[in-house]
Amino acid sequence: MMFVVRRLMLTIPILLLVSIMTFSLIHMIPGDPARVILGQEATPEAYQALRTELGLDKPIVEQYFSWLGKVVQGDLGMSITDRVPVSELILQRLPATVELTIGTFIVAILIAFPAGILAAVRRGTWVDYTSTFAALGGMSIPSFWLAMMMIIFFAVENQWLPSSGYVPFSENPAQNLMAMILPCVATGLRESAVLMRMLRSSLLDVVNMDFIRTAKAKGLNEARTILGHALRNAMVPVITTSGLMIAGLLGGLVITESIFSIPGFGRLIVESVFKRDYVTVQGAILVSAILVVLVNLVVDILYAVIDPRIKSGKGAGE
Amino acid sequence: MFSKKMNKTLISAVLGTMLLVTGCGGGSGSSAPAPSDSNNAGTAAPAPSNEKKVLNIGLKADPPSMDPTISTSLYDRQVYASLYDKLFEIAPDGKIVPMLVDTYEVSADGKTYTFKLKKGVKFHDGTDFNAEAVKFNFERNLTTEKSKRKGDLKYVEAVNVVDNDTVTVQLKEPFAPFLSVLTDRAGMMVSPTAAKEKGDDFLNAPVGTGPFVFVKQVKGDSVSLKKNENYWNGEVKLDEVNYKVFTNGTAKVQNLRSGMLDIIDETPTKEIPAVEGDANLQLIAESGMGYQGLHFNNTQAPFDNKYLRAAVDRAIDREALVKVLFNNYAAPARTAFAKGSLAYNEELNKPVAPNADEIKDLLAKGGKPDGFEFKLLITTAPENEQLGAVIQNMLKQHGINAVLEKVEYGQLLEAGSKGDFQAMQLGWSGRQDPDGNFHDFVVTGNTNNYGRISVPQLDELVLKARGEQDEAKRKALYDEATKVAQDEAVYAYMYHQYVLIGMNKKVTGFTYVPDGLIRTATLDKQ
Repeated sequence: MMFVVRRLMLTIPILLLVSIMTFSLIHMIPGDPARVILGQEATPEAYQALRTELGLDKPIVEQYFSWLGKVVQGDLGMSITDRVPVSELILQRLPATVELTIGTFIVAILIAFPAGILAAVRRGTWVDYTSTFAALGGMSIPSFWLAMMMIIFFAVENQWLPSSGYVPFSENPAQNLMAMILPCVATGLRESAVLMRMLRSSLLDVVNMDFIRTAKAKGLNEARTILGHALRNAMVPVITTSGLMIAGLLGGLVITESIFSIPGFGRLIVESVFKRDYVTVQGAILVSAILVVLVNLVVDILYAVIDPRIKSGKGAGE
Repeated sequence: MFSKKMNKTLISAVLGTMLLVTGCGGGSGSSAPAPSDSNNAGTAAPAPSNEKKVLNIGLKADPPSMDPTISTSLYDRQVYASLYDKLFEIAPDGKIVPMLVDTYEVSADGKTYTFKLKKGVKFHDGTDFNAEAVKFNFERNLTTEKSKRKGDLKYVEAVNVVDNDTVTVQLKEPFAPFLSVLTDRAGMMVSPTAAKEKGDDFLNAPVGTGPFVFVKQVKGDSVSLKKNENYWNGEVKLDEVNYKVFTNGTAKVQNLRSGMLDIIDETPTKEIPAVEGDANLQLIAESGMGYQGLHFNNTQAPFDNKYLRAAVDRAIDREALVKVLFNNYAAPARTAFAKGSLAYNEELNKPVAPNADEIKDLLAKGGKPDGFEFKLLITTAPENEQLGAVIQNMLKQHGINAVLEKVEYGQLLEAGSKGDFQAMQLGWSGRQDPDGNFHDFVVTGNTNNYGRISVPQLDELVLKARGEQDEAKRKALYDEATKVAQDEAVYAYMYHQYVLIGMNKKVTGFTYVPDGLIRTATLDKQ
């Protein structure tokens, strides 16, 4: 419990740092926000009025602290271009991305585990080579290309699955799941490659350890040795990779989201950058940072669950 | 190492799981009857059960605001074509015709407009559209602090209600483009009751008189509308219209092919073969009202010299350019006015093939017989980078070296506003009235006159055309002004963009209107 509290306390300086960096970066992008928002139709009066309205005429430090002051009170501000609270925008966009992340992760695990275990157990055989080859292929294929090919094959040529049409799960679960299959598989295939390679090498390390030899000497069969003893010990690096993967997916599914027209969190950030809606960018990145911190916390807790030695300070795999 | 039997068990378990996974990808799809049943995947998204006619329109970008008073986006206007009616409308032949106005009169001095309004029109909230509503809308556009329509209506002095169905608009001075202004956002009528009640939040709860009623908007993703059961201008055939944002052009076209979308607002040039090659689709390719070209900074070297501006202008081979970059899905331009515009002049707009001797002569007159170098600002979109490279190559053949500097759109606008550039590539989406393509861009000191163009004769002609009521005389003035602009090479017009609408053949009732917006009132889906 103390561990969790300590970790949570540590997030405060991290988030402050993130907010300062985001704030400075977005103000460093060339092109005045008022100019971008007004576009070619701007009159000089409208331009000045908008600058004042957005507080752009104030010094940057003052702008930062007035923003921070509100954030501390739980107010992420009002989107400059959409005129709705940023928190509302984020809540609108987050569920789709969380669902996509979970779906992607499930696809990745369903592929990576069988393939990784097989490749490790049947090391040096055609099984190993084939899955290694497939994994390298999966890592090298850009996800937008794969996504487009899947749309053409599954939606255009054969009309088996919809090419877009996301609706929230609460609105229409069946349609939601149908629309989620292609995007989850398109990103999941790629992520599975990374997980599979990690699982394979981690298992190979463990398989050669003494306790596995002991287990086998006791007469345990292969399946029980691998699934019951080796796999659990091989999990720590896999969980680390998964954590990084999930944290990355939560903010980084922009391409999948735009190809499949899913109103996700990644797209919100990118669109807001283009629109110079920096109030939304700041809010969204802050939330993104919180999510990353939380995922890492969960990963740390999972370490302890998987390997009790970690809690007592001893290293894993000893 | 492992027994044979165990090996088999392990492998079959693993393979089983893998099959399950691949089953998720393909199998569950093939067993799902919904999309293939109706032989149209488009019905896969909306529930196909109660045979609602749902039209899905793909937009290139998000429409940020549903309030025409504060709108600055082209994509807003697409949605407005369903939500709002306007006092005047553009007919398919480009002429201005009354819409919510029944009949109208213009006084001899061109300063007083009397509008007789259509009777029995109601807003979506059930309130009446009448003279008071028109007055309210004019005043809202003129006085709301955040209004972006003040410029459109700056000649309006007063709006008076004569009776319930009659309103007069008094102008400060004659302004010939006035009715054309009322065919766009400044002429859209919003419900006064709703606007007063919602205030600033009206952009999230719009109420108009149009063929469709607002249901909801997911910002950055979609806008959903439903049929206006009491539409004044004939029965609306569709039950729902959804606007979906697809920032990726290829994905948008594939969704059109798969049937998830019925219409797309624009088709990227490289995707044209995909649309044309699909038997279920049709491509509507029509000249738009805008232009693309190069701004020269008329006050800064080297382009303060008219001969050097002319040298660049003449060195661009328009015909080759539209062929290479757009596969001829754009029209070569030498004027600001495209086909369909009142001021369109085929002769003046006709491209002239570059003549090496003429360009050499111009360079010599400009004091740079061996050519010169200049910096050309261009935005980072891939198609613009291609455009930049093509221009660069064309100029190089005549010893003119254009150094391309890629900047972001906002940065480009800022450089333009400050006059901090030598040349930049930026065009204009275009307006129905010629004034909208010319006045703000070439008259001394105007907001979009990034090139600091200042030719007294040009100013005089454009301002005179503005006040001229007679169409033939107006056209003659624009012809003359265009000749002056060409002689002075104030701006290098290069091409008129096409509007490339992709559409499923199941959609019927479509009529192209030169502003390129998709009017849903008459659309149906078979």
